[in-house]
Amino acid sequence: MIDANGATAAAQSAAERAARGFESLLDRGRIRAPQGREAGVLGAVLEPESVAEISEIIRKCEAESISLAPVGAARTLAQMRSRPVALGVSLERMRQVIAYEPEDMTVVAQAGLTLGELNRLMEQNRQHLPVDPPAPGLTTLGAMVSAAKAGPLRLSEGRVRDLLIGLQFVGHGGRVARGGGRVVKNVAGYDLMKVMTGSFGTLGIITETIFKVRPLPELAELAVAPFDTAEPAFGVAAALHDALPLLHLEVLSAGFGREFGYPQKCLLFAAFGGNQVELDYQRSAIECKLGGKFAVLAGAPASEAYARLRDLEMADAALAAQLAVLPAELCRGLLSCRAEYVAYAGCGVARLFARAPEGANEAAQIVAHWREIARQARGHARLTALPPALRSAGPAFFDQVNEGSMKLMARAKKSFDPAGIFNPGCFVGAL
Amino acid sequence: MDLTQQSGGLPRTGSANGAALSSGLREELTEIVGREGLIHRASELRVYECDGWTVEKSAPELLVLPDSTAQVSAVLEALHRRQVPFVPRGAGTGLSGGSLPLKAPVMVCTSRMNRIVSIDYANRRVEVESGVVNLHVSNAVKAAGLFYAPDPSSQAACTVGGNVAENSGGPHTLKYGVTTNHVLGLEIVLPDGEVVELGGPTEEVCGYDLVGAVVGSEGTTGIVTRAVLKLVREPQSHRTFLAIFADVEGATRAVSAIIAAGVIPGAIEMMDQLIIEAVEAAFHVGLPRDAGAVLIIEIDGLAAGMDQRAEQVKAIVGGNGAKEVRVARDETERAALWKARKRAFGAVGRLAPNYATQDGVVPRTRLPQILREISAASQRHQLRIGNVFHAGDGNIHPIVLYDERDPDQVRRAVEAGRDILKACVALGGSLSGEHGIGAEKMHEMPLLFSPDDLMVMSDLRRVFDPAERSNPNKVIPMPGACVEVAAPRRQVPV
Repeated sequence: MIDANGATAAAQSAAERAARGFESLLDRGRIRAPQGREAGVLGAVLEPESVAEISEIIRKCEAESISLAPVGAARTLAQMRSRPVALGVSLERMRQVIAYEPEDMTVVAQAGLTLGELNRLMEQNRQHLPVDPPAPGLTTLGAMVSAAKAGPLRLSEGRVRDLLIGLQFVGHGGRVARGGGRVVKNVAGYDLMKVMTGSFGTLGIITETIFKVRPLPELAELAVAPFDTAEPAFGVAAALHDALPLLHLEVLSAGFGREFGYPQKCLLFAAFGGNQVELDYQRSAIECKLGGKFAVLAGAPASEAYARLRDLEMADAALAAQLAVLPAELCRGLLSCRAEYVAYAGCGVARLFARAPEGANEAAQIVAHWREIARQARGHARLTALPPALRSAGPAFFDQVNEGSMKLMARAKKSFDPAGIFNPGCFVGAL
Repeated sequence: MDLTQQSGGLPRTGSANGAALSSGLREELTEIVGREGLIHRASELRVYECDGWTVEKSAPELLVLPDSTAQVSAVLEALHRRQVPFVPRGAGTGLSGGSLPLKAPVMVCTSRMNRIVSIDYANRRVEVESGVVNLHVSNAVKAAGLFYAPDPSSQAACTVGGNVAENSGGPHTLKYGVTTNHVLGLEIVLPDGEVVELGGPTEEVCGYDLVGAVVGSEGTTGIVTRAVLKLVREPQSHRTFLAIFADVEGATRAVSAIIAAGVIPGAIEMMDQLIIEAVEAAFHVGLPRDAGAVLIIEIDGLAAGMDQRAEQVKAIVGGNGAKEVRVARDETERAALWKARKRAFGAVGRLAPNYATQDGVVPRTRLPQILREISAASQRHQLRIGNVFHAGDGNIHPIVLYDERDPDQVRRAVEAGRDILKACVALGGSLSGEHGIGAEKMHEMPLLFSPDDLMVMSDLRRVFDPAERSNPNKVIPMPGACVEVAAPRRQVPV
């Protein structure tokens, strides 16, 4: 993990020095050494307990030019760094539900709470926050918003940007700012929620999130159909998407077939819900399109298959990306991507996985190929995993954006983070 | 009385917009947009002295009507060279004075840019110029079973560009979301004339979500010239109900009960007694004139299961005190109900010479409290106030009736509106659900946001418009600043 040139070691000792200076702000038990996946990318980790403490930390970091990044439970942002950042700020100790109003269908929670915990709480009211990235138990609300994470339910329920109705973050100068509010429809003031969603910790540290929540479907079932090749699976997916208001719809490459008991088969998943009559109608519509070669799961087996589908990762994949293109172009792009994939058919989005590349060159070639596929389909590809050894010399995590947008993004970064301390150097255009 | 001198944001009327324009500007703009694209006569400019927020009036000195992105860019570049502030305008149907020129002598109107650029049925995308009328988008794709979901009451006139600026909603946004949920890409001309493409046709964003920052920025980030919009598949079937209640309390209880049952209808709209009277007098749709309140409830989805869904809604509404529940028997009856709802604002015009439509939001469960507050404000200020609103979202629209020939009534109307907004905020709500802050509510923003919140929002605006020349003096109040009077104001009464 440590560079041969000793740059990382130097950063490490600088971070240790910096962390020592924080002992006047936080007691020793809340300043810790990096663990597991944090090693090599974070110098030290601070665990503040309040917004005021985060403000203090930021003021000190700005005054002394110390870089910092928020770290969610899954360390998503840390994984994307090519060079270490001095401090990680963990919201481990800020995980309160501040207000949950089932009748208003809104929830206010601190950013350190995990999505899994939040949804367990709301289940008793048959409600949920329908954003479903992999591993909800390891996904804090802050990380989910910062990295704009999403999962299968994006098809029917939208994404973070559609459900986040308010937030609080601490930014430049330790300034605490709020946008939005606790009501489901609100146009007062500029939409800070949109700017912070997917900003990957580069504009400040999100401390509180407010979401509108949704009812769980009365009944739901999951159809699974095996195909020898991907193309017909995408064809059926398109037809189903056109005909039915599905909850989610995926096509998996053959490498994932085994996970669901269909080795070397491409799989189509289609989930549908509603009252009993709606359920029966949709099941028979799917039967018509698939001609009997499919299984329908209900109850516990359906929930279990859904969770496995949501959490799907390729164990030995060292290179992963998110591809976003025009929905009708997704199939063509994936047929030539030479990777395993989970495709969110209907949304034009897929997660791509490749086994460990031989070196930086091979990694760069694979990524360049994916980016070309994205470009041809008027979209883009963002890396979500890259072997640590390849990060500093490897391809950029983000695609390029057009010159005008880049100029505006650089201005936004400069305006929100004039000292350049927030998760620097790993965002679009190396912001 | 000159109301403009008071810093509390009381009504302004007049025509002035700051320093006199340099003589060369008109010639240069004429060269860009042609004679037919420029209006400079005071008599013609009167039309543009306000939008749907008619309490304040102020005409621009020049109106420019470009018909292409290139022309918008050239116009803004010319204004940039001279540091002249400008105000963008779509169809002028806004309800918060968003296109009221305040120290912005030039108005740039996008209404001639009304082409639908392309329709991509396979991907459910449409690209339009910003002057395209909202309803024309849905009309263009109707045959393919698709529609554009945001449906403000003014949808037969308002433009997509105006909707983008205001992040407009409408009755069906309860289920389908507001404008920001349906815009994927924008072409914007920045205040210095630079044309930038933001976002694109894909669902995911690369980098900061600048499209999300521009939607709802009320014309303060530049002029949007094109938009890539998402289209939605028409549901297989609808069921539209008219539920009749003795009072508004009962109606609000029914709204909460429907949502609590896990049903998300396409729309739940409420009209109170005053509005029922006005609508009935104007359209004769058969609303019961003796009812205290009615709800229009629409559910949509698969045809299969719709009967069960309808019975469920009827049972909930009946169990919460509805005196009667009628179901629209066919498309004609459904259309009549929606016509009554969408034209309710216009119908109110029969009750008083003027009306101001307020827009506030409360958590859905606080609707009974806010309706009591509205009724108290009506008594306190001795003005009639009707209510027609998006109950499912907690988005209220009190309509304050007044007569602009009586300056005291104007003052009371503005104060009543302000009292209601304060009550919304006190109940945990917001100043605007869909009409925007504009000129109207700028001075109320500190009720909702701290100085730090507002400073960060200003920082965001200056990313796009560092000199704050695009629609100045809107949304965020400048500390200590009040709009100066630079020319004689038109007095009320007229």
